[in-house]
Amino acid sequence: MKLNERSLAFYATCDSPADNAGFLYKRGERHTAYHRRWFVLKGNMLFYFEERDSREPVGVIVLEGCNVELCDSAEGFAFAIRFGGTKSRTYVLAAESQEAMESWVKSLSRASFDYLRLVVRELEKQLQEMRWGLPGGCGGSREPAGPWKPKPSGLEQSRERLPALPAILPKENGCAVWNNVLGADRAPDTSGCGGHDEEGSPRPPPPLPPRRRVSNGEAASAGAAVAESPSTFCRLHEQYSREVARLRQDWQQRQRGPRP
Amino acid sequence: AVLKKRLVKLVVNFLFYFRTDEAEPIGALLLEHCRITKEEENVFSISFIEEPERKYCFECATEEQCQEWVEALKRASYEFLRRSLIFYRNEIQKMTGKDPLEQYGISEEARFQLGAHRQ
Repeated sequence: MKLNERSLAFYATCDSPADNAGFLYKRGERHTAYHRRWFVLKGNMLFYFEERDSREPVGVIVLEGCNVELCDSAEGFAFAIRFGGTKSRTYVLAAESQEAMESWVKSLSRASFDYLRLVVRELEKQLQEMRWGLPGGCGGSREPAGPWKPKPSGLEQSRERLPALPAILPKENGCAVWNNVLGADRAPDTSGCGGHDEEGSPRPPPPLPPRRRVSNGEAASAGAAVAESPSTFCRLHEQYSREVARLRQDWQQRQRGPRP
Repeated sequence: AVLKKRLVKLVVNFLFYFRTDEAEPIGALLLEHCRITKEEENVFSISFIEEPERKYCFECATEEQCQEWVEALKRASYEFLRRSLIFYRNEIQKMTGKDPLEQYGISEEARFQLGAHRQ
């Protein structure tokens, strides 16, 4: 398969900062001897050079759809980059210390484009919700189910799974856009928002209205349903604001203590 | 130059191209440090920073399709995604005082620091 190798080599050697760099031992493909190589991680590409000052990489590993695992082999500080697919090879690498191994495993397992895209979409969603003030708390963040796992869209996967274009395109570089999933399956953030006390006083904010402590499912479907219609949203916004104002008044009166 | 019909797929930061009846791609372009230009109504080109005169030209069926591709390809690079992340992180931090990357355990990574990777 043809590749724009010159561009790849440029990317590997240009002065844009690397996400990780260092010597690692790489096990050969056919012979199991290890060779010491200079590795440079940039984005989702792991380049390796014969020497630290080599002008061109001798190879590159594209880190999409792979798993990075520790090896339980006898070799010290060894770890593997494993790809799915029948024709793919597993790359076995070894670091020179425990610390180096841990640092590499961490950076390699989060290097994929897929992973980064997931994080960016989450942040985009959070920002939209904060700016548009959807019901359900401010900046409520969904607890991730577990460690982020990159979506398996590895280059080695079967062709049918490859999308033709990214599914959701941001409109402009860095500007918030309407995401087509507004506030759905998002647990309301009952931990409270930091620093939003309008009075500027040290008192804790009033508790959220009891209605908001509903289960995830109810709030989610309510949130998703109303987000579709601006007029219902405005009405709800009005309703909530009246209720909030009332609760706030009650709370302030309680804080001041019983009237003489 | 002769135009050849190809099936083109954008997957992460790679543009794969296939002969229309084959399952394996004949080639791929890594989309980093490149410039996407709309040349004519339905033609766009990709050129790379280290060889700017060499243009990979693509002719689309319609102007609309061409525009779609230009938009998608401009945002296809890993570096673009990284910049977006840094931007959103900064915005959220300004609004809430909290670092949204903390929950993912990646807030300390050098690659996400504001001011990193200026090119």
